[in-house]
Amino acid sequence: MSQPESHPLSKDALAEFRADIASWLEANCPLSQRQPIVREEQIWGGRRRVFPSQDAQQWFEACRDRGFTAPEWPVEYGGAGLNAEQAKVLKQEMSRLGCRPPLYCQGLWMLGPALLVYGNEAQKREHLTAICRGELRWAQGYSEPSAGSDLANLKTKAEDCGDHFLVNGTKIWTTKADEADWIFCLVRTSDVTPKQAGISFLLIDMATEGVSTSPIPLISGESEFCQTFFDNVKVPKANLVGELNGGWAVAKELLKHERKMMSAFEGMLEKPVMELLELADYAVGSDAQGQLNDAELRSDMTRHLMRETALGQLGERIYWQGKAQQADPRLPLLMKYLGTSEAQAKDELVLRALGDEGLSMEDPNVSAGLRKMVKQWAFNKSLTIAGGTSEVQLNIIAKRALGMPSGESKS
Amino acid sequence: MILNEEQAMLRETVAQFFAEKAPISQLRSLAGGSNQQGYDPQLWSEMVELGLPGITVPEVHDGLEFGWMGLGAIAQEAGRCLVASPLLSSVVLAQNLLLNCGSDEQIAAYLPSLISGEATATVALEEGRFFSADAIATSEASGALKGHKTRVLDVGQCSHIFCVAERASGDRGVAMFAPSAEGVAIGSRRTMDLHSAGSIQLDGVSTADVVWLAGDDVEGGIQRTIDQSTIVLAAEMMGSAREVLERTVAYLSEREQFDVKLGTFQALQHRCAHMYCELELAESAVSAALTGLDNDAPNVSVLASSAKALANDCFTLISSEAVQLHGGMGVTEEMDIGLFLKRSRVCNQLLGSSSYHRDRYARLNGF
Repeated sequence: MSQPESHPLSKDALAEFRADIASWLEANCPLSQRQPIVREEQIWGGRRRVFPSQDAQQWFEACRDRGFTAPEWPVEYGGAGLNAEQAKVLKQEMSRLGCRPPLYCQGLWMLGPALLVYGNEAQKREHLTAICRGELRWAQGYSEPSAGSDLANLKTKAEDCGDHFLVNGTKIWTTKADEADWIFCLVRTSDVTPKQAGISFLLIDMATEGVSTSPIPLISGESEFCQTFFDNVKVPKANLVGELNGGWAVAKELLKHERKMMSAFEGMLEKPVMELLELADYAVGSDAQGQLNDAELRSDMTRHLMRETALGQLGERIYWQGKAQQADPRLPLLMKYLGTSEAQAKDELVLRALGDEGLSMEDPNVSAGLRKMVKQWAFNKSLTIAGGTSEVQLNIIAKRALGMPSGESKS
Repeated sequence: MILNEEQAMLRETVAQFFAEKAPISQLRSLAGGSNQQGYDPQLWSEMVELGLPGITVPEVHDGLEFGWMGLGAIAQEAGRCLVASPLLSSVVLAQNLLLNCGSDEQIAAYLPSLISGEATATVALEEGRFFSADAIATSEASGALKGHKTRVLDVGQCSHIFCVAERASGDRGVAMFAPSAEGVAIGSRRTMDLHSAGSIQLDGVSTADVVWLAGDDVEGGIQRTIDQSTIVLAAEMMGSAREVLERTVAYLSEREQFDVKLGTFQALQHRCAHMYCELELAESAVSAALTGLDNDAPNVSVLASSAKALANDCFTLISSEAVQLHGGMGVTEEMDIGLFLKRSRVCNQLLGSSSYHRDRYARLNGF
């Protein structure tokens, strides 16, 4: 990420910055916005954005005006221009007070970081600013019905028509595309081999004629994902990011951020109504010594809790290694596979413990909170698929961490 | 959770030392001989010269005070070569039991000879089929100690035995005596991993012949020693697991079948990648536990149980898979892979199986 030259701050300057931030947060973050966030109240921005409350709007606007929706982005693009140290202080202070994240947005997490590297000046000015001001909501157009793990097999075509591209094809698993304003897409601009060398990165306004979306109902009863169709869609040439046929490099930059986001996904989800132990005690009860009545559930839950704790400890190890300039580059490769598997293991324990109350997602006799946990069990099956399947993660680990020999597969 | 410069240097020195002086072939030749030695005294005296007995000992007791992360790193390197030595029995278990449970006078009287290598000690703790820290039947009655101890490490070669037993008062205590004391019958046993874990029959050992450790908090000291030793054993196991995974990956990257390297097969790559994930996950729990010891964390018992359960499961998985992935060679005596398999199963039982530690973790966390 291109950033203003950052000078390490003196201890005093940093302490002053911290005090400044703390008093700003105290003054600007309404008490209601210091409660744990629920999914319905997340602010995703966009042309059709609505605020769940006046407080939420006030908090969002205060952050937007100070650049705190994208603290590390340069000021000229709507960020706050903080260096890494300062951004960490902001994060710490926000988490200390329990402040809600002011903006949730794929543009913020994924497109923005890639634009900072590959975008031209005009693109940065137009899009980064709109992203951190929450004016436009972005969707991602990568996967296609015939291009999942084998992303380079994508077929959506962008034909060179002089001043514009003519786009035809379809994208799938486009998160909340039905609520998005723009979509960043990988499109085929050449049929050369290898397939990766004929792909370009395009920004497409979804209000353009010929773009349509249709939600995909999931096993959780929700439809987070859509299929998006492009039928003779005219896209100005100015919307090409990076080189023509150079989209793969942009995509890889962006995927890095997606995997990071997916490993952190659990943290973004709202807190469950009950912690696992509490839930198990509620569901199966405990004996006079306080031990859960289901011995196998108790043992399996312990195994999970130990592993979940160890995952946090792995994160700490990575952090301390980085701080001591002794980073082991293999360790971050493991986080997505381990983190998403363990999240699913937890969901399975929840479902097992719930027994009868876990058999329906709609049963009105079951509390809304518990029904939500059942839905999450189903929804979280996507964690090991989206953002690079567990199988792809294992391929990467075998190759890059263990240096195992490459076979015939071109992936 | 990372080594400082001194610790990293020591680790390198020790790794080189073990690779040269204590390769697995040494362990095999020791076991092949007619003697009943569980470890090579010559190797041990060289380890003493490196200063290993004093690694975690505070400077006030003339130790190096290199910390538990430092000792953990050494244990890992020992684990890589499956080194048989009194590192666990004397340095980790006995010395810490003395430090944690002994009076200042007792520490001053007995610790120096342990650090200098003149003496070696072991701890008689475990009884019965499985480890259980709370089920100690050995007891003092009418001025005599009676009981049966199992899995006493290196008991055939030690000069002092620290025995955990119930005292006439009903409190738990630690009795120190010589293996030659009257009423003590030592049963040496070489376990299948070629290390040594024997038994002690105590048939009315006169309490006039024993020294009871007399520190302020003997019970707390016993618990603390068990946690410390459990964590260091877990670290040793992680070293062994890492070594055997590396050997397996190297084998798959060389061995050809169907005209290709076996390691190109995705089915095998995924198994190795999964093992590597499990390895680093368990390693993180062990690192956190060692750091917990260094920082005197209040939840050290929880960290210890987590570390041992994860290390048990991880080393069990990796050693089993290593045998399978080596194919026919994996079940031959010629390959060392089988020794890693056996070592993992012995370590599983020492200081608590996974089921023991999961149960303990749950109890400590109130469920």
